[in-house]
Amino acid sequence: MALLKVKFDQKKRVKLAQGLWLMNWFSVLAGIIIFSLGLFLKIELRKRSDVMNNSESHFVPNSLIGMGVLSCVFNSLAGKICYDALDPAKYARWKPWLKPYLAICVLFNIILFLVALCCFLLRGSLESTLGQGLKNGMKYYRDTDTPGRCFMKKTIDMLQIEFKCCGNNGFRDWFEIQWISNRYLDFSSKEVKDRIKSNVDGRYLVDGVPFSCCNPSSPRPCIQYQITNNSAHYSYDHQTEELNLWVRGCRAALLSYYSSLMNSMGVVTLLIWLFEVTITIGLRYLQTSLDGVSNPEESESESEGWLLEKSVPETWKAFLESVKKLGKGNQVEAEGADAGQAPEAG
Amino acid sequence: MAPVLPLVLPLQPRIRLAQGLWLLSWLLTLAGGVILLCSGHLLVQLRHLGTFLAPSCQFPVLPQAALAAGTVALGTGLVGVGASRASLNAALYPPWRGVLGPLLVAGTAGGGGLLVVALGLALALPGSLDEALEEGLVTALAHYKDTEVPGNCQAKRLVDELQLRYHCCGRHGYKDWFGVQWVSSRYLDPGDQDVADRIQSNVEGLYLTDGVPFSCCNPHSPRPCLQNRLSDSYAHPLFDPRQPNQNLWAQGCHEVLLEHLQDLAGTLGSMLAVTFLLQALVLLGLRYLQTALEGLGGVIDAEGETQGYLFPGGLKDMLKTAWLQGGVACRPAPEEAPPGEAPPKEDLSEA
Repeated sequence: MALLKVKFDQKKRVKLAQGLWLMNWFSVLAGIIIFSLGLFLKIELRKRSDVMNNSESHFVPNSLIGMGVLSCVFNSLAGKICYDALDPAKYARWKPWLKPYLAICVLFNIILFLVALCCFLLRGSLESTLGQGLKNGMKYYRDTDTPGRCFMKKTIDMLQIEFKCCGNNGFRDWFEIQWISNRYLDFSSKEVKDRIKSNVDGRYLVDGVPFSCCNPSSPRPCIQYQITNNSAHYSYDHQTEELNLWVRGCRAALLSYYSSLMNSMGVVTLLIWLFEVTITIGLRYLQTSLDGVSNPEESESESEGWLLEKSVPETWKAFLESVKKLGKGNQVEAEGADAGQAPEAG
Repeated sequence: MAPVLPLVLPLQPRIRLAQGLWLLSWLLTLAGGVILLCSGHLLVQLRHLGTFLAPSCQFPVLPQAALAAGTVALGTGLVGVGASRASLNAALYPPWRGVLGPLLVAGTAGGGGLLVVALGLALALPGSLDEALEEGLVTALAHYKDTEVPGNCQAKRLVDELQLRYHCCGRHGYKDWFGVQWVSSRYLDPGDQDVADRIQSNVEGLYLTDGVPFSCCNPHSPRPCLQNRLSDSYAHPLFDPRQPNQNLWAQGCHEVLLEHLQDLAGTLGSMLAVTFLLQALVLLGLRYLQTALEGLGGVIDAEGETQGYLFPGGLKDMLKTAWLQGGVACRPAPEEAPPGEAPPKEDLSEA
């Protein structure tokens, strides 16, 4: 009993082939879309690799790029096949290759589904690399004279301005590191000397943040220094003041940005996966209905198309049988070879 | 009465004309689409920068006119594609016969007119940007401190975002901030001696400092941003005046915005010029094709030669025909036409 049998007459077959041809070309476009999505994600990750310790995983964009290229190749091939399917002479050329091609298509669809799932699941690794990278970035903020790290200040400032965030988890992270280079500290000043002496590691720590943490929506000019000292500023209470600095930490901001990016890419990939599954099913019907045309001369005759020749459990049993036969075939050959060698030896 | 600029068009050149026209029409459609995108982009930019242009500035009219001109160019292109396609196919051409004449008139008058107007605006309006920007920026900087005054409370946020995004400070330089009170009086401590001194020493009672807002800071600077006491060279230790000053943004917002908007207007203007040329070519080609096919009586595939022309007669004769046709349309019945009208009409039908 075949699975999902559908009767096809000549007209229906032609329509199916034409429809599939069109869908395959749309699918090539979809493959290009997946490729460009993967490329975009890769570029975005590269842009911010400074704050990700250069150790971020490029698995998702690389797989999207690969799937995009493969989709273009497979679907243009399928389009050619559908175009030739209407001509019995040309179709005879493709006939022996169709079954393995469909098997590869099914495999491709499974991998595409897995890649789409990865888009949703792989942001946990991004969180840890971001946390580590931002911590290091903030540590090197003051090293504007050290070759190899001199750009870190500019990177962190532009990041905080663009993503509207401050510090790793919040602005207090800046209180714990020395972000003002020693080169710009006046060591003759008593205040500076006191601060450095009072710190165990000899660092100059302030309760201040860089200017890039400032929030333009604040009604008052930005308070960057002596943030926790209410008496240093007129009419200021640091407990209730919310608009002065950005409240969000840059790790959360970047993570939400990349999450939304990967989520939307995952949704698009899933939709394209559904499209590809439809195409594979259509191709299967086309193949079985064309094979059902017993006499190639009578191309007008009706035929049947199906998904699987027998029902699912029977097909699975037949598949296992063929695998066992393959194994037994090897065994028999081996025994034959041994038997052949034994008389020679003996 | 000779036709104006006649052109003999046998079958092969007619087909070539139709094919060339098809290509040009697609180019025209593309150009119309590009104009739509450019003017849409300019409109969006002006929405964000609208606060920095004086309200009396006429500049926003340019993208609106370009939008209209681009739509008409797109329509003309699509008409050209359809008509040139139909002129190659005998079955498709009859419905176009009646429509093509009025469409050509509409395209020339409407489309051509709009394009000329938009092109003129693109050449004339950017000149007025200078004063408009000056006035707008002065107002914006003056209202920076008015974060609690309804109607102006957004000025601080907009000016900060402008300086952060366009990498500029002040109108022509950072010293513009020294002449404006940019700290709201609400956050000035009246008990502080320094504050009271400054306010008293100023004629208008403004609190002026030699400091700038945080948005002027340049992230490329190797040292943390110096915002206050900028005119006092001894205030900040280890400040090396010989090194190029990377502390604040060097450019003024006036120059940056002027260049940005003039660039956009220039791009739009050049696109409008190209579209004007393409539209003229397409309309000319359509007219020749139409008159040539009329000469054959609407039969596409006839092998005979025919003449295509711009106008059937000279300008005077054309105006007379149009006047008479308009007169005939107004009069209720032809018997009532005065005998003086009859001879010129016979004259025309003989010619």
